[in-house]
Amino acid sequence: MKVAGFDIPAVQRRLLVQLAARDFRHEWLMSSCFVLALSAALVPLLVLFGLKYGIINNLLDPIREDPRYREIIPSGSGNFTPDWFEQMAERPDVAFIIPKTRSIAATIKTRLTDSDAGRIIDTELIPTGTGDPLFGHNVTIPQGLEELILSANAASKLGASVGTRLDGILTRQLNDEQQTVIHGMTVTGIAAAGAFNRDGMFVSIDFLTAVEDFRDGRAVQAFSADGAMRPDASRDFAGFRLYARDIADVAELSSELLSQQIDVRTKAADIELVKSLDRNLSIVYWIIAIIVIGGFCLSFGTSLWANVNRKAREFSLLRLIGFRAQGIVWFPLIQALLTGALGWLLACTIYFLIQLSLNSLFLDNLGAGQAVCKLHAGHLLLALLLTLLAAMLAATVGGVRVARMELSSGLKSA
Amino acid sequence: MVKTYSGGGASFRLCIKRLDIARGDRLAFIGESGSGKSTLLEILALLLRPDSCEQFSFYPQQGGPMHDLAAEWQLNHTDAFTEWRGRHVGYIMQTGGLLPYLTIQENIELPLRLLQLPLADTAQQWASKLAISAQLGKLPAMLSVGQRQRAEVARALAHRPAILIADEPTSAVDPINAGRMVELLCSLSDEFKVTLLLATHAQRLAQQFGFNMIEHRISAADETSHEVSIDRGAGP
Repeated sequence: MKVAGFDIPAVQRRLLVQLAARDFRHEWLMSSCFVLALSAALVPLLVLFGLKYGIINNLLDPIREDPRYREIIPSGSGNFTPDWFEQMAERPDVAFIIPKTRSIAATIKTRLTDSDAGRIIDTELIPTGTGDPLFGHNVTIPQGLEELILSANAASKLGASVGTRLDGILTRQLNDEQQTVIHGMTVTGIAAAGAFNRDGMFVSIDFLTAVEDFRDGRAVQAFSADGAMRPDASRDFAGFRLYARDIADVAELSSELLSQQIDVRTKAADIELVKSLDRNLSIVYWIIAIIVIGGFCLSFGTSLWANVNRKAREFSLLRLIGFRAQGIVWFPLIQALLTGALGWLLACTIYFLIQLSLNSLFLDNLGAGQAVCKLHAGHLLLALLLTLLAAMLAATVGGVRVARMELSSGLKSA
Repeated sequence: MVKTYSGGGASFRLCIKRLDIARGDRLAFIGESGSGKSTLLEILALLLRPDSCEQFSFYPQQGGPMHDLAAEWQLNHTDAFTEWRGRHVGYIMQTGGLLPYLTIQENIELPLRLLQLPLADTAQQWASKLAISAQLGKLPAMLSVGQRQRAEVARALAHRPAILIADEPTSAVDPINAGRMVELLCSLSDEFKVTLLLATHAQRLAQQFGFNMIEHRISAADETSHEVSIDRGAGP
């Protein structure tokens, strides 16, 4: 299949690119006008998109970065088997899942070791493990039965820090006898304030199951506690801690759990609110963009048409010398691409100045790393592609005019 | 070969019954304005398509194969015409035959680049021959009309075409420069064995330089229909 404009000798293609660039430079005043006109259309679009992207990201960033927005919390107790946990962990939309024991059995009294007179607080036990999104890489995840991460609240009340030794105090009533276990543990990390708002202690699932067994009157070797032996049958759990891979996965994952008759609570509504704002702003933006791009194409296209008419003699002269007509069609296209690239470059420069001014203006209202107006390199590259596409679309008008120009009358034109 | 123009209630018909042009011929097409001189040159340069054409043969080389241009016209092989024109024809217009964004040297070298012929010092040699050496680095707008015309002659001849066609090259210059221009074209056509076809009003000038002349004589069938008929065989 032959494509018009491509079926020309390579030497003609190379020469036409050089000639179009030379003419573009020679007519610098006209070229500058085209470039300025393009920038004038592009700058408001970049600023509008930068504002939309910046504002929406200011709303979305905390949601994306805070793992609590990805948490799916079961509404009540259930009966979850190890197989169920395995299946859930294998799902691509699940970032982290760990079983929870019964809430009533998941508490412990805590005090600083060697501080009999010190403060004793009731703390909730929360299971954690490798990959827990609440903790960064600098926090050591508790392993075994003697390590823990304290919530910020509990750490503050106890005056504990990383490395502090704590006593966990467990009591139970067994055979009319009050039994107390004091279990020594070491603090491996302090959770961020937002991770858990109450007095809590993140521990391994082994520790939680040991506490649950102890409360259930069973024998727990680690606590040197006697009692009934646990049957060999696999253990079911009352609940779970579950985090979706991405905020976009929360709605589908919670729907999946609901379909399994597991009632859950999520922050999907908060996420949806911001996403719907993003969608609506995007619609408004693209309506404006299409109108502006359409207007630009029309104005640039007619200008190129007039320009091609003005240069009819020069185009005819090229054909007289031996350039093929379908090759000369590329002449306005190459110049349109040059206009598009330079217009984009100028628009980006102006945009960055405006972005700098806007972000400085709203500096007091922004958090660290936030910007009211911002664009990524990908956005600017997309803008370049769209600009070149629009410029070429407009230039095809001029190209068609060149292709239809009669050589003889072209040479006679002034 | 027939080419007809009509419009505004009038019509003009150029009818070429026979026109033999030998290699090295020096032909002047003379006649009043509107007598079809430029039309004929444009058809010969394959710039303009005739309405009908029975035979149009071209022998690029002495004793070489014939190009059947009438057949090419039938098939509308515009790319073939473009290549033929670019390789074998040098065309000089009244004015404006140079690209304004290229220097004189680049204008002269453009046909060579297009045909991928060696540039060497061709432009300098032509410039020296035509007394425009000092203008080589300048843009056409910086030259006088006469200098531009000489540059255009250099551009038209740089690739050593077989045919040089000049459409009223003297109409934009004064009589002294017109004479110099025709003299220049004649000396160059002799030097390079180029067939020279000239359309001109300057009959006396053409006679002075020994052109074979073909007169475009308009005959009117009525007030609105005019015809020019040309019938020139190779002769005895």
